[in-house]
Amino acid sequence: MTKNILETDGLTVTFGGLNANDSVDLAVPEGTFVGLIGPNGAGKTTFIDAITGYVGMSAGTATFDGEDIGALKPHERAGKGLIRTFQSLELFEDLSVRDNLLVAGYPTKWYTFILDMLHMTPKNQEIEERVDWALDILNLTDVADAMPTDLPHGRRKLVGVARALAAKPKLILLDEPAAGLDTTESTNLGRQLRTFLDHDMSVFLIDHDMGLVLSVCDYIYVLDFGQIIAQGTPAEIREDPAVKAAYLGEQAGEVQAQEADRIRESQQEEVPS
Amino acid sequence: MKELIIALIAGVGAGGLYAMLGAGLVVAFRGSGVINFAHGAVAAYAAYTFDELRENGDVYLPWFDPIPEFGFLKTLRINNLPVKLHLGEDPSTWLAVAVALLMSAFIGLLMHFLVFRPLRNAPTLGKVIGSVGVMLYLSSIIAVNFGGQNRADVGFGGFTTDSPAVEILGGTIPRSNFYLLAAAVVMGAAVWALYRFTRFGISTRAADENEKGAALLGYSPQFIAGANWVLASVLAGAAGVLFIHKTQPALFVLFVVPALGAALFGNLSSVPGATVGGLLIGIAASGGVELADKGWWPAWLPAEGVRNTVPLLVIILILYFRGDKLPIRGSISIGRQPRAPESNNVLIGLGVCVGIAILLSNIFVSSWEAILTTSLLATLFMFSLVVLVGYLGQISLVQFSLAGVAAFTMTRLAADGTKVRPNDFFVNTGWDLPDPLAALGAVIVATIVGLVVGIPALRIRGVQLAVVTLSAVIALEDILIRNTTLLGEGAKSTNPTPEPSWFGQYVGAFNPDTNRTDYWKYTAFLILAVSLVGVAVANLRRGAMGRKFLAVRANERAAAAAGIDVSKTKMLGFGISSAIAGIAGVLFAYKLPAVSSDNFSVFAGLALLAFAYLGGITTIGGAVIGGLLVAGGLSAETLGVHFEDIDVAYINAVGAIGLIINAIVTGGEGIAMLQTDQGKHILAGLRRDPTIAPPDSVLNLTQEEIQGDVEGALV
Amino acid sequence: MTDTATTTSSSAATGETLLDISNLSAGYSGVAVIRGVNLHIKSGEVVALLGPNGAGKTTTLLTVSGLLKALEGSVAVLGAPTTFGAPHKTARRGLAHVPEDRSLFFGLTVQENLKLGLRGSRSEQAAGYETALDLLPALKPLMGRRAGLLSGGEQQMLAMARALVGKPKLLLVDEMSLGLAPIIVERLLPIVRDIADNTGAGVLIVEQHVHLALEVADRAYVMSHGEIVLEGAAAELMERRDLLEASYLGGGLEEDA
Ligand SMILES: Nc1ncnc2c1ncn2[C@@H]1O[C@H](COP(=O)(O)OP(=O)(O)OP(=O)(O)O)[C@@H](O)[C@H]1O
Ligand SMILES: Nc1ncnc2c1ncn2[C@@H]1O[C@H](COP(=O)(O)OP(=O)(O)OP(=O)(O)O)[C@@H](O)[C@H]1O
Ligand SMILES: [Mg+2]
Ligand SMILES: [Mg+2]
Repeated sequence: MTKNILETDGLTVTFGGLNANDSVDLAVPEGTFVGLIGPNGAGKTTFIDAITGYVGMSAGTATFDGEDIGALKPHERAGKGLIRTFQSLELFEDLSVRDNLLVAGYPTKWYTFILDMLHMTPKNQEIEERVDWALDILNLTDVADAMPTDLPHGRRKLVGVARALAAKPKLILLDEPAAGLDTTESTNLGRQLRTFLDHDMSVFLIDHDMGLVLSVCDYIYVLDFGQIIAQGTPAEIREDPAVKAAYLGEQAGEVQAQEADRIRESQQEEVPS
Repeated sequence: MKELIIALIAGVGAGGLYAMLGAGLVVAFRGSGVINFAHGAVAAYAAYTFDELRENGDVYLPWFDPIPEFGFLKTLRINNLPVKLHLGEDPSTWLAVAVALLMSAFIGLLMHFLVFRPLRNAPTLGKVIGSVGVMLYLSSIIAVNFGGQNRADVGFGGFTTDSPAVEILGGTIPRSNFYLLAAAVVMGAAVWALYRFTRFGISTRAADENEKGAALLGYSPQFIAGANWVLASVLAGAAGVLFIHKTQPALFVLFVVPALGAALFGNLSSVPGATVGGLLIGIAASGGVELADKGWWPAWLPAEGVRNTVPLLVIILILYFRGDKLPIRGSISIGRQPRAPESNNVLIGLGVCVGIAILLSNIFVSSWEAILTTSLLATLFMFSLVVLVGYLGQISLVQFSLAGVAAFTMTRLAADGTKVRPNDFFVNTGWDLPDPLAALGAVIVATIVGLVVGIPALRIRGVQLAVVTLSAVIALEDILIRNTTLLGEGAKSTNPTPEPSWFGQYVGAFNPDTNRTDYWKYTAFLILAVSLVGVAVANLRRGAMGRKFLAVRANERAAAAAGIDVSKTKMLGFGISSAIAGIAGVLFAYKLPAVSSDNFSVFAGLALLAFAYLGGITTIGGAVIGGLLVAGGLSAETLGVHFEDIDVAYINAVGAIGLIINAIVTGGEGIAMLQTDQGKHILAGLRRDPTIAPPDSVLNLTQEEIQGDVEGALV
Repeated sequence: MTDTATTTSSSAATGETLLDISNLSAGYSGVAVIRGVNLHIKSGEVVALLGPNGAGKTTTLLTVSGLLKALEGSVAVLGAPTTFGAPHKTARRGLAHVPEDRSLFFGLTVQENLKLGLRGSRSEQAAGYETALDLLPALKPLMGRRAGLLSGGEQQMLAMARALVGKPKLLLVDEMSLGLAPIIVERLLPIVRDIADNTGAGVLIVEQHVHLALEVADRAYVMSHGEIVLEGAAAELMERRDLLEASYLGGGLEEDA
């Protein structure tokens, strides 16, 4: 059995009487792609908030890379390689796309500002390359010098993903990266996301685009009212009646999934030709 | 004990005033997100209007005749703007009250249409500067229209000096104090009900938070903002006429400080909170002064300081513990920030500026070194604002006081106890450190004080931070800079500057050998300092840490997710900025024969911030331009020589108008930005739609290229 | 250029024209990103505006409500031309626009947000409030919560509800299903259909879930690179997937036309 990069045990988050996360036990094995789905307001974003330190846990533990991270501050967790994106964009709006990524990638010490002032900060080749790679993989190279506010909504989301990639994650937590992408683009995104696994990281994905989630995840958890109501492989989840009733609906989820399947097929036909 | 209780009760009088003003500040803030520094000035104008009408039957409109009666202009008296209206010989009190309130409403409308509506999309700091401009303008107009004479209006109704006193515990308290309390509570309740129970109230909050959202729902953001300005100003005017029997109307201008404390108590958004806060501040202040009279009170802590600072400190603590280290989800964003491009060719730019400056001043004025060094000093100081306000986005009004702290510390550390100048009746005793060490020590002290003052910034953001740092200014001024016990009689007179000599070179502006001012070594020294600091600050922006500063400025939550320690970064920014302010303070002291608290007043600090903002708060070039603009600096003096016989109040009024116009024209980006590409778009954007963002590089691609990209992306 | 699949649409497309866009060009900083757009909506119609990312859908909607300036052409909403810079006037005539960024008031509670959307007499307001909440029951337990604290999907529902409480005559929804669970999308689309059928309102929805949108829409327009490249009855477009996909791929039009 591989080791779990992330593991939560009885994780509970309470907002004044409301249990947004209720004893959540969830594990992300190293090198795998795990999804989290669930109705609106189920507590998915709250789960990411809790393990990255943006809201406090009222009970339970969170272990990252073998270490209990419950007491760490958000930036300390990020420093350990637990990197998130935000559902609500939260980009650095007055930095260019490239600078957005560089902020995340560049290590600084307390004395860096002195080197900066003397214009002697060593250029970190590794990080510049990493940033270029992240821009490339998300197709943002052409807008590297643009301001995020000038991009259409879908691409702004991708800047958030690229920024997380640049920060050298061991586990990357993606909160609805495909929201606002059309089906073709989200299929492309899915393919890129799978390649993250080849770069020494694990991926945790939240999204409502079933075409994406069902096709890229190795394993899926389903959250409802803060509790896990189902877990399993995409095929199992797709057929699970409880998940259909709470989340997928009669046909909407299925339609999305099929549409994505079709696009993938048609693209596979095109590529060799 | 009994005296204390009596003093506490009597405090409701002043407390009532603060509460009324605080409620008005909340209304203005809710209506358009502006911290209205001019609120006290509006109250003052209304009070003067009331008094003038009762005394002489005249009403002065809130402007001055642009064709004044000076010099050759006298002969040109054509088409003068009406200023004075005569309303009859003996108008009734109630007419006077009504006219004063109408006048306030009128001023509110003017403020909305001429200042804050054009500034509605400006960064937070731009709005702050706009209101500072209005405050300066109204103060000068008051000086022009009503003159400086004392007014001792007896008031009206129950609000009079001669209303019989109430006896409590054997002491007496003026009856009008209780009327003021009642007025504050009634006004607060009425405004609260208006916001609580009408659609107008909710839509006010909505429109301020998200103008687009409100407009899409059918609310006119402009109408809402305008109505709130009128309401806020009428509240100010009412406070002015009700309090006129207590003090000189001119003092109202300054009451905006405790009133801001009151508004902060209500989180800038709750009228009941502001009312309670105002009353508490009044009560605490009155009690504090009573205590400070006691024998056991430490002599080094002046009563004045206690009165002004203790209540504010309490409020800061409350705000601090209410705040979060990182903004929680869905917090209202603190608003747009001016762009912060990298500066290149700093030295060349600086050289050119200094060259032009020398040339200009040589032609126009005789004592050009004095003026040039004023500009250079201002620029040096503004570098500290570039780091803190420009890069890091923390609006701090306290930096100039830190320069003051450094200046005083330096005189103390370097003094050898021997130097006595003819005018000094205070003989300095000090540590007798070598000058470079004394300077270093002073900068370190300023940095430490700056770090302490910066602590609230860890949890308080945006305009709230601006107000909090303003109270820090008052505290530093009262407790430190004006403190005769700590700094010697210097508070009233001066602290002699030691004759500074660095490594054998005399670097002061005053030459003791010739007993005359002799600028050149000083100027060279200053240019060296400005260049070094300027280059360092410009480099900071280009480096890895500078990028993190901008990231924190843009979005603290995202910054933490990118692994940035937001608290440490803010502290670092406060440290760097305070050190630079300290350097500027020391060099300023070197220019003066002696340092006095008057050199570091609140208003001087505000003015410097305003000019830094106008120059461009995010760039080195902006600081250079800001330095040229300051009063006593090159532009002002060069222009000023031609108008020597004009009343200074006129010049101030014109300056204030310039400030406002500038704030509007530069769209919050500063003059330095106007020459850049982005600046051109700002100018273009002003003429067009405010929602239009500058063009992006994507759009500059040709259609084929876009097509190619899309296809490329799909394979 | 435009590929028109001509049919008469299923339902009451015979009413008055609520939205009439003709030959519209608009964009940012004077550079047009949409060109020559013609689009109209009649009373009782649901019209889908489709197209890949960056096609110009949002830009079109912003111009309709007067947030962006038309560079060329004209927009008439509910019989009167829109005035740029005064979106509140258009809104008062009965236009509701749910913008892409939602423009919720984060500092206000859910209830206050909804209140601001109300229009008309007291009884009309009460009725509007009731219906909107019946349609989106998930909001009911959230009334006292600050809108900024809501989850992404809850915010989306609030934005929809805030537009619906005012009983608009013309409803524009940008990215309606953004961040919504599939089951909610599945419920919301028929609701939109019902509103058009029952109140005679015109509805324009921008949607990424093409097939779900086409199921409820009467007609659809497909945009690509700032131009309308395809329009027709929803039912026909469903049949012609090849055409649809071609326009999404950005190429292919020329061969088909
Ligand atoms: N600080 C808070 N205070 C009170 N309630 C909160 C707070 N933060 C979140 N909530 C509530 O907790 C619930 C869970 O929110 P969360 O954002 O985790 O949902 P989600 O599963 O991500 O939903 P979506 O798919 O719509 O994004 C929601 O009902 C939300 O309103
Ligand atoms: N504020 C802006 N400034 C400059 N260009 C912009 C701005 N907003 C959008 N654009 C450009 O206009 C074009 C059309 O954008 P628009 O947002 O209308 O597309 P869309 O069809 O709504 O896309 P999406 O489905 O991604 O929301 C894009 O190329 C985009 O880059
Ligand atoms: Mg979420
Ligand atoms: Mg869009």
